[in-house]
Amino acid sequence: MRDRRPLYLMTPALGWLTAFMVVPCLLILGLAFFRRGLYGGIEYTLTWENIRLVFDPLYAGIFLKSAWIAGLSALIAVVLGYAAAYAIAAMPRRHQPLLLFFAVLPFWSNYLVRTYAWIVLLNREGLIVHLARLLGFEGELPSMLYTETAVVVGLVYNYLPFVILACYAPLSRLNPEVSEASRDLGAGGWTTFRRVVLPMTVPGIATGFTFVFVLSIGNFVTPALLGGGQFQMIGNLVYAQFLTANDWPFGAALSIFLIAIMMGLLTLQTFASEKASGGRNA
Amino acid sequence: MRNAPLPLMLAILAAVFAFLYLPISVLVALSFNDGGLPTAWTGFSTRWYAELFSNADIIGAALNTLIVAVVSTILATLFGTLLAVGVEIRRRKGRFLETIIFAPMIIPDIVLAIALLSFFSLLGVTMGLHTIILAHVVFNLAFVCSVVRARLKTFDWSIVEASTDLGAPTLTTLRRVILPVLSPAIVAGALLAFTLSVDEFVIAFFTAGAGRASTTLPMQIFAMIRFGVTPEINALATIVMGISVLALTLSQRLNRGGLPGQ
Amino acid sequence: MTLLSLQNLQKDFGKMRAVDDVSLDIAGNEFFALLGASGSGKTTLLRMLAGFELPSAGRILLDGRDIAQIPPNKRPVNLMFQSYALFPHMSVAKNIAYGLEMEHLPRAEIRSRVGDILETIQLSALANRKPDQLSGGQRQRVALARALVKRPRLLLLDEPLGALDKKLRGDMQLELKRIQADFGITFIVVTHDQEEALVMADRIAILKDGALLQVGTPHDIYEHPTSRFAADFIGVMNFFPVHSDGTILRADDGTQIAAPIPPGLTGAAIAAIRPERLHLDGYASENALTARVTALAYHGLDLQLHVETPLSPRPVILRLTADQAESRAPRPGDTVTLGWSARDTRVFPA
Repeated sequence: MRDRRPLYLMTPALGWLTAFMVVPCLLILGLAFFRRGLYGGIEYTLTWENIRLVFDPLYAGIFLKSAWIAGLSALIAVVLGYAAAYAIAAMPRRHQPLLLFFAVLPFWSNYLVRTYAWIVLLNREGLIVHLARLLGFEGELPSMLYTETAVVVGLVYNYLPFVILACYAPLSRLNPEVSEASRDLGAGGWTTFRRVVLPMTVPGIATGFTFVFVLSIGNFVTPALLGGGQFQMIGNLVYAQFLTANDWPFGAALSIFLIAIMMGLLTLQTFASEKASGGRNA
Repeated sequence: MRNAPLPLMLAILAAVFAFLYLPISVLVALSFNDGGLPTAWTGFSTRWYAELFSNADIIGAALNTLIVAVVSTILATLFGTLLAVGVEIRRRKGRFLETIIFAPMIIPDIVLAIALLSFFSLLGVTMGLHTIILAHVVFNLAFVCSVVRARLKTFDWSIVEASTDLGAPTLTTLRRVILPVLSPAIVAGALLAFTLSVDEFVIAFFTAGAGRASTTLPMQIFAMIRFGVTPEINALATIVMGISVLALTLSQRLNRGGLPGQ
Repeated sequence: MTLLSLQNLQKDFGKMRAVDDVSLDIAGNEFFALLGASGSGKTTLLRMLAGFELPSAGRILLDGRDIAQIPPNKRPVNLMFQSYALFPHMSVAKNIAYGLEMEHLPRAEIRSRVGDILETIQLSALANRKPDQLSGGQRQRVALARALVKRPRLLLLDEPLGALDKKLRGDMQLELKRIQADFGITFIVVTHDQEEALVMADRIAILKDGALLQVGTPHDIYEHPTSRFAADFIGVMNFFPVHSDGTILRADDGTQIAAPIPPGLTGAAIAAIRPERLHLDGYASENALTARVTALAYHGLDLQLHVETPLSPRPVILRLTADQAESRAPRPGDTVTLGWSARDTRVFPA
């Protein structure tokens, strides 16, 4: 009796998740091992070809490029986000919830809108160019939109609020007596930060980094809008396989690698959190 | 941290908040710029809002978005709440179960999008608003579930036993004891789901099928951005942001600290 | 001889005065207790000594040198925090070595000093454990070792036994005293627990509203409280409202009470007497009083008797040793005659 009750409460949701998440994902897993049909359909003969193609220098290069962009974005977001979280945690307690609320607020406005805002700023006729002209900058300005930098800025901008949230959590839980103990034992402010505060807040950093990396590497909206046509990341590649090139099996194979990267990182992140907390309480 | 240098901390906060708010403030300001161009302020005007409301495509997309968001929120709130209660009643925690529930929140949207696209087309399902709704319920129910579970973590289960002890059957206990206590979290979860659904682009884009009939607002915005910037977008962006911010503020007020990640 | 000298020390937080004109000399090798209720300013005083708060006025002289402006990491003073504040990501040995590493000592010396102190606190076997794998008592000893290993001139302990259970607390009181004697370091302990202060300290300072109320040995403080607050705060005390005309003390019902009256004390006053100074042989005493027993409370070695008297609305508490209780155990409802001598009575202004 006691064990059956939770089951029927969970049935609708678990059924839904199975039908519209688990099964489709398994389908993708299977799809990756079939051949592409002549006119874009699927030919049901087994092959390793799609997996092998992922390691083709052309596509492996796009993977590396995406990982580089995602890693750089995650790194910058973590540095900025940690600094912001630290500053919020240094403010008087009663102001902290409001500051945090306003730090996270932009995260809940539309992703496309936030990305579009940067087009307005970075555009050849955009605000930044205009400002530079007003400040007396003459001559041809380098194009800022449709560059790697624009993509990184867009990704950082979009995911920064989450990183602030993730880093604030362990910082606010930090017992102030612990950093005082470090000072009392003879450590200066910087040493205290490096040897005590930073190691104790690694879980937040790991969570923030993982989140930005995972969302960035599979992103196709930001590269499409801020990177223009010149620029391909895995997300765009997957998009193309399904919507233009019509090579679903190869698109499926690419997705599997995306999921693998994501799972690998999540495992690392769990590991980092457990190590920082001293092994017992996660 | 009490010893952190205050001027430096304030400088960091000012810089980060400027970075976060300047771009969207520019959009909001431009939406009221009569000329519509970012380079010159030609006077305050609401003409772009007026044009927006006379654009049939946008009104249609907004209606579609509303349908998707409302229906998927209702389903997700129902399923997500039941799931949360079910999972928390179970004493034994299954790692597999946790993964399944957690997955929709972290799986890259493009992966879920193409998986569902393949799934629907192999089954021969005609895609449209209904397939978007099916897809949105997947991640929405996970978010509702996580908000409700956060509340259940501090839930005093002995009141359930008290209700049973006083003779109430399980469903009566659920209706008269558990749900009333959970209602702020449930409403907060529903608002969150609604916001997510209104804003969601990638999955909708892949599961909407062909044709304009099932275009949602984010899809409309994407198309507008790609095929030329018109000042109307600024107005549309401002409205969409306003709605999300409103929903989030409400959700926070109802359920302090219940957002995922907090 | 004087190690630490506080001169007119004061600390304000906005309009609130947390520490009010405290002057105090503490000798080398002394075990000193700052005793006060929460909000009495004792923790603020300790934090000024450690360097985490700057005094608003006054001087802190350590070995004759004013250290009030020196940052905490540059003072030969260490603090054992109330929460212990162990670094959760470092092992026991690393926690203890931390302070020595800050002094840039050679590795070999650090290793041997950490080893020695682990030996002293009997935790050598747990050197590689993380703090959250330790019991409360073990954590407390690690925190103590971490501060002690630096051989400070002065060790500050903020409620060192507060987080321990009662049994362990008793053991640790003696342990702390032994360690203090062995290391020959001056200890200043902040506590709200008067029993702890009485057991451990060579001298006690009672703080109230940021000011020093009384400083003295445990015996002085217990037997000769100089204020009603101190009398009430330390141990158990019976109080009777009385009236003084300068030479004679009378209770509200007119009973005359024999007691030494402080010079110049007239008007409303309070007479105080310790439970163990009361006895049941009232007829042979300077003060005698008929009372009715209302309750008995068994405390192991002794028996507490609650009696009703006409002198006070509150029940008077009387302590009998097990032997006394054996020979004549009163029962609730019995009428007894209380007695006590004049010199055991303290009189304070009301």
